[in-house]
Amino acid sequence: MNRSTSPFAWWRFVKLFKDWRVFLDALLVTVGVALAALALAVAIGAVLGIISTSRRKPLRAVTRVYVEFFQNIPLVIIAFFMFNALPYAGIMLSTATIGILGVGFYHGAYVAEVVRAGIESIPKGQFEAAHSQGFSYFSTMIHVVLPQTLTIILPPLTNQAVNLVKNTSVLAMISGGDLMYRTNSWAADKASYAPALVVSGALYFLLCFPLATAARAYEKRIIRAGLVTAATEEKIIAVTDSE
Amino acid sequence: MKKRILLLVLALAMVASAAALTACKKDEGDTADAVSSIRDRGVLNVGVKSDVPNFGLLNTETNEYVGMEIDLAKKLALEIFGDETKVKFTPVTAATRGPLLDTGDIDMVIATFTIKPERLESWNFSTPYYTDHVGILVKTDAGYKSLADLDGKSIGVAQAATSRDAIQAAADELGITVSFQEFASYPEIKAALDSKRVDAFSVDKSILSGYLDASVEILPDDFSPQDYGIATKLTNKELAAWVDDLVTTWLDDGTFAAWRANYPGI
Repeated sequence: MNRSTSPFAWWRFVKLFKDWRVFLDALLVTVGVALAALALAVAIGAVLGIISTSRRKPLRAVTRVYVEFFQNIPLVIIAFFMFNALPYAGIMLSTATIGILGVGFYHGAYVAEVVRAGIESIPKGQFEAAHSQGFSYFSTMIHVVLPQTLTIILPPLTNQAVNLVKNTSVLAMISGGDLMYRTNSWAADKASYAPALVVSGALYFLLCFPLATAARAYEKRIIRAGLVTAATEEKIIAVTDSE
Repeated sequence: MKKRILLLVLALAMVASAAALTACKKDEGDTADAVSSIRDRGVLNVGVKSDVPNFGLLNTETNEYVGMEIDLAKKLALEIFGDETKVKFTPVTAATRGPLLDTGDIDMVIATFTIKPERLESWNFSTPYYTDHVGILVKTDAGYKSLADLDGKSIGVAQAATSRDAIQAAADELGITVSFQEFASYPEIKAALDSKRVDAFSVDKSILSGYLDASVEILPDDFSPQDYGIATKLTNKELAAWVDDLVTTWLDDGTFAAWRANYPGI
């Protein structure tokens, strides 16, 4: 046997490419869970974010509790809890559902913070101007505040999407069939961990890098267009720094 | 923008080639006398299980490892240093044992590591020091009597465990279908069995015996034999030969038999 014994040896990569289907299927699971979790996170984040700018204290308190709860507990524990504890209460969720709910709830907290910071960055004068023109709170939000908010929170939201994609890898710990799980499984099964980790890392990169790049480009554009200042944008991104 | 992407691609290529180069270099220059290099270092580094009763289990009260494989590692240290305490144990999992061997962080793996063709391409294995069979652990109240009752059920296995192949082959023979869920460690599989996430827990019988409690039982079925060997870095043929020599000696002179007698579970 004269071939290289290195963990990075080419023959190991060849072995992996022969099993490309395993990695493709796993990638599809990751993408599917990420998309559904993102939709959930945005829905939760939008509702809670808007509520958290309300003048009613009890409403604000509810969103605060939610945000603090999910920002200060590791996602792994949330996933383990749903996987191993909920069945004792008779709730048996599939691993894909756990991925969608766990990652969605978790990132929903971060999205809520982004939405809140975005709304708060809209100058107070605009609320007053709208009010003086006879706009109700609701129509002020719909016609004046939220459209502007959406523009300026898109970059930090995209950053959330990037983190969300990577965080779906929590499924690897509960045999979720995602890319990280199949990577570990294939690596251990074929005694070739290096190509598995390199290829899977590259696949995650391919998913995340375009998103991150687009977010940066868009951010530059809206700052140049004068729709938002760099300092405000920085401030909104900073609310998710605890991650 | 284009420039930035180009720079990034260049940086990535550099990292990749650096990794490949270091990996290649190590292949060429292993020491002439593997055992004396361990002696010079003053400690033998062994990768062991920390969660397998009777083989390698970390006693969390005393913070000491116990089990047959631990005795084996100590005996190897005794051979090298004349002192069985000069061994450092590193707990390993399916995901870490290979990299730790390849980088030289540990000298050998003695951790219920089954010899199979695919693995011989990556590491050296000694003569088997223990042969076990794959078994199945189920909840007693589920009423399963053999593998045949597990048609359509889900079986928890460890990552990289050969039990998956063994059970799949047996299931094919019976004409039943089973699905598998892989976990990184045995306690995680037991937790999944307890929460009924999986219907059965399958791994080598001796390992299963460590997870017996009032609510579970091991089915009588025996599946394909698993040979445990001591794994060393593929390029370090000398160390492999030295280890193999001792293993065969201790198999012949009853040393292993004496160890096994200390652990009634195996």
